[in-house]
Amino acid sequence: MIHSLFLVNASGDIFLEKHWKSVVSRSVCDYFFEALERATEPENVPPVIPTPHHYLINVLRHRIYFVAVIQSEVPPLFVIEFLHRVVDTFQDYFGVCTEAAIKDNVVVVYELLEEMLDNGFPLATESNILKELIKPPTILRTVVNTITGSTNVGEQLPTGQLSVVPWRRTGVKYTNNEAYFDVIEEIDAIIDKSGSTITAEIQGVVDACVKLTGMPDLTLSFMNPRLLDDVSFHPCVRFKRWEAERILSFIPPDGNFRLLSYHVSSQNLVAIPVYVKHNISFREGSSQGRFELTLGPKQTMGKAVESVLVSSQLPRGVLNANLNPSQGTYTFDPVTKLLSWDVGKINPQKLPSLKGSMSLQTGASKPDENPSINIQFKIQQLAISGLKVNRLDMYGEKYKPFKGIKYMTKAGKFQVRT
Amino acid sequence: MPYFGSEETVKELKRALSNPNVQADRLRYKNYITRVIRYMTQGLDVSSLFMDMVKASATVDIVQKKLVYLYMCTYASDKPDLALLAINTLRKDCADPNPMVRGLALRNMCNFRMPGITEYIEQPIVAGLRDKASYVRRVAVMGCAKMHSLQPNIEIDASIVNELYALLRDPDPVVVVNCLRALEEILKDEGGVVINKPIAHHLLNRMKDLDSWGQSEVLTFLLRYRPRSDDELFDILSLLDAFLQSAHAHVAVATLRLFLHLATAHPAVQADALQHTSGALLTMCGSISRELRFAGLCHVQQVMRSQPGLFAPHYKRFFCAYSEPSYIKFRKMEILVELVNDENVTLVLEELRSYCTDVSPELAQAAIAAIGRIARTYSEKCLDILTGLLALKQEHITSAVIQTFRDLVWFCPQSTAAVCQTVEACVDCPQDSEAKQALLWLLGEHGEQISSAPYVLEVYIDGLKTELSSSVKMELLTAAVKMFLCRPAETQDMLGRLLHHCIEEESDMCVRDRALLYHRLLQQGVEQTRKVVMGPKSDPSMSVLTGHQQEPVSQWVSNFNTLGPLSAPDLCIQTPLISSPEQPSNNAEEELLPVSKDVSPSIPKDDQEELNLYLGPPLSHESFERTWLDLEVLHRETLSYTRPRTTPDTLQAALQLVKIQTLAFTPGDTLPWKAYLYTRGNRTLILAELLQEDPDSEGRLVVSVKQQPPNQHALRGFVSILSSVLQTLNVDS
Repeated sequence: MIHSLFLVNASGDIFLEKHWKSVVSRSVCDYFFEALERATEPENVPPVIPTPHHYLINVLRHRIYFVAVIQSEVPPLFVIEFLHRVVDTFQDYFGVCTEAAIKDNVVVVYELLEEMLDNGFPLATESNILKELIKPPTILRTVVNTITGSTNVGEQLPTGQLSVVPWRRTGVKYTNNEAYFDVIEEIDAIIDKSGSTITAEIQGVVDACVKLTGMPDLTLSFMNPRLLDDVSFHPCVRFKRWEAERILSFIPPDGNFRLLSYHVSSQNLVAIPVYVKHNISFREGSSQGRFELTLGPKQTMGKAVESVLVSSQLPRGVLNANLNPSQGTYTFDPVTKLLSWDVGKINPQKLPSLKGSMSLQTGASKPDENPSINIQFKIQQLAISGLKVNRLDMYGEKYKPFKGIKYMTKAGKFQVRT
Repeated sequence: MPYFGSEETVKELKRALSNPNVQADRLRYKNYITRVIRYMTQGLDVSSLFMDMVKASATVDIVQKKLVYLYMCTYASDKPDLALLAINTLRKDCADPNPMVRGLALRNMCNFRMPGITEYIEQPIVAGLRDKASYVRRVAVMGCAKMHSLQPNIEIDASIVNELYALLRDPDPVVVVNCLRALEEILKDEGGVVINKPIAHHLLNRMKDLDSWGQSEVLTFLLRYRPRSDDELFDILSLLDAFLQSAHAHVAVATLRLFLHLATAHPAVQADALQHTSGALLTMCGSISRELRFAGLCHVQQVMRSQPGLFAPHYKRFFCAYSEPSYIKFRKMEILVELVNDENVTLVLEELRSYCTDVSPELAQAAIAAIGRIARTYSEKCLDILTGLLALKQEHITSAVIQTFRDLVWFCPQSTAAVCQTVEACVDCPQDSEAKQALLWLLGEHGEQISSAPYVLEVYIDGLKTELSSSVKMELLTAAVKMFLCRPAETQDMLGRLLHHCIEEESDMCVRDRALLYHRLLQQGVEQTRKVVMGPKSDPSMSVLTGHQQEPVSQWVSNFNTLGPLSAPDLCIQTPLISSPEQPSNNAEEELLPVSKDVSPSIPKDDQEELNLYLGPPLSHESFERTWLDLEVLHRETLSYTRPRTTPDTLQAALQLVKIQTLAFTPGDTLPWKAYLYTRGNRTLILAELLQEDPDSEGRLVVSVKQQPPNQHALRGFVSILSSVLQTLNVDS
């Protein structure tokens, strides 16, 4: 299925390769490099590249291309999702998935790849099972290992596969029993120049960190389960019960896992938490342009909008921008024409603004496209769709667990056209 | 890799590894081994350390074992004699009480790619198949496949195959899936693993225990199974129902494919399944990972071939975001073009209009081409936008707009007047040769409607010396001759100059020959020339063939969820560039990999060989007649409709579009009406006769096909293509 895997960094060097069947020469990547050269931007490389004898399927994450070499017909989604799973696992193990982290942990990386695929077929990919096979490197463990000379490989086989509930190992014990849930929503939106919404949708997930002794059986109910009509669950959730009562009932896996992901797309349900007032104009014949931008919160239920970052690709004719931010800092790269403004937190009493002028190439005609503005932000303690957890109950065990729920809204692909 | 001092490094490592002091210190020893692995992964040749590394494998430390195994697997094929020394340690590990060590040793032993290893690994593998730890069984099952691939020519060991079939009932789900994978590889030459009724139902019942990867693969294997009865079919479908909603996109799509495949005879069920999964597909199109989004879009595109209306209410989901990579934007535009209906046309066009001024010229041109395709249905609105774009005076935009105009005029003649008006008003000339050709074609073809046409032509003729592209020159010749035929007074002088220049001074043979041809043609008289040069000015029937059409699901389901559609080139970029009207583009589906034909489990070989018709060298009337008389009729079919009531030209053009050449046909409405056709495809020549004897009301069209050499598959393909063309033409007229 997956014959080989090559990891290629942003400058086009192969820095790691792994073969599960026979060794495929590195020269197969030449087709990939050709495509990379043809693509003007690093992310423009098509995900599937046909070559005379192989297919190359690549995903780009954290500025690293994960290039899989395929020799026979496979469902493409299968490979793409698997590659993403590999990246997720690296991130889970090393905290970040960068070239440096992979090179530092090259031994663990090889161990992981060896366990995740056998003969090109997926073997163990569940994070908590892998972690029993190969212990993730932590600072403490690294120190201990150096002193005692012990290893980061579990000496025992994972028991999970042998229990009645395949995703949970038996005999789990904790002194503090805790269950935490994070409701994280990403809002994707396109706003047109008059401020009305063209598209808006919310991608939400509920991630859980459950550390409970024994075999707990949890039920989680929502205040407004009607919101969730486009939803997919972790295999542990009893689907019949959800269909009948709109209650999540499940025996959780041990540790971190994604309980469900959902999608809210009907527009009247999606509130837009930020508004932008803008005036970007170029005059015919003049070498100056005006730039004014003001941000403000709306429909945030009093929660603060934080970590705001505004970026915009200005037209090619712009030589420089001379702007004055009321708060935060801005940078303008004259080569890529990328303007980015790190705003920080929006204070509703004193709205942040960025005003000034842009200088254009003299003699150049007025740019015919207006730049669009990308905004990133975070809102703590708010799920913008209005999803709220009603209650969490535990059955099957005697102790009282500690429960916690956090909400967060982030901007996904949030774009304002001017 | 030629690093400086690489030899030194290897020597130093060798010294360290053989140093007894280092060997005594476990930690230092392991650190050196790690360094060897690190150098190895960087491409440094450390194979000379093989002996020292083999020694290091005799340890209780699992990580060290893993590292040494990794090293040995990489170099075993280079040093087979030394690798044999390591085998003993590995075989001992295969009997270790810790199942993890057993599995690890077995897996690595199977990964040694060197001749003669089979005699050592066969016994541990067979023992591993009966191991009580599922981890070892998984490895052993895969080991069988690896063992087979080491010596592919040796006869298949029936006892192992039987054992693997028996292990399909193993309690561990991964063992079950591994068995399928291994059997598939071992039995490749015999058509892969056999899925009979008990196995199919066993797998279906185990589905929920499998991990998502296993589910996806089992679903692909199940494509081979054909239920015996409708009751069984519906039992299977209801078992699969839950998986259509799977959290993993690849499982949901694999389930959909199986659904569509099983329910071939029940279009209602298929439509229902598509409706059911449309939500999941849309979610995939909005996924965070751009690769998944791309795959989602490709699948939506395929589904839309049968159900164009399914995604129309969600058209806003296909609007491009600024930060998306271009391959996603191209796909989204293609989808938007297909989605357009009366309600959303204004908004979609407005959206596409905003892409036309994008920074990337390719994207802008693709957007303009997309508007051009919508213009075939909603010409007025689109023409306004395109005309507005010309006012921007951006070179790449003007170029794309003019090419779009050319295609538009060819496909829908009603827009000709408006286009001509715009072209006349457009003052600046395009600079690239594609656009120049398009403009010249428009001027030549519709010169009588563009009053300034001769003067524009004159500019080109005067600038002939600096023109580099020979295809522009040829187009210029054709345009000038056509123009001469409709407006002789204004053109005569410049045509003379043009011909003179091309014949006397031109160095390009093709251009010179073309000029000579026109020269001689003109000597034959104007009427003769008109007959030769002037063809139909437009062909609306082609837009029927290329435009919206609901295809049956079976047309695309065979490559649904495969690599083909994802690696097909984007149509949007291609259309404006290749679809010169006289040479309709051949949108043949990308063929799968050559290897995949044998491996792909789903489709019988016969169907997968796609029929690619082509015209090849023309067949003379005599040789057609000879061949026709020599051959037997291989296939005769009475079609359910009469002969198309279109003009002969349209029929001919429509058939040519699908690469079928019309040789002769009865003119007018005389009966019996006959037509003779031929084409080539898949190494066979196909000849056909269409015959209608009785008056229209009762008579049906009879098609008789002869073939040399016979090829049933090509024949079936030909008949279906032919009948769909005739059907379309019938509907059209």
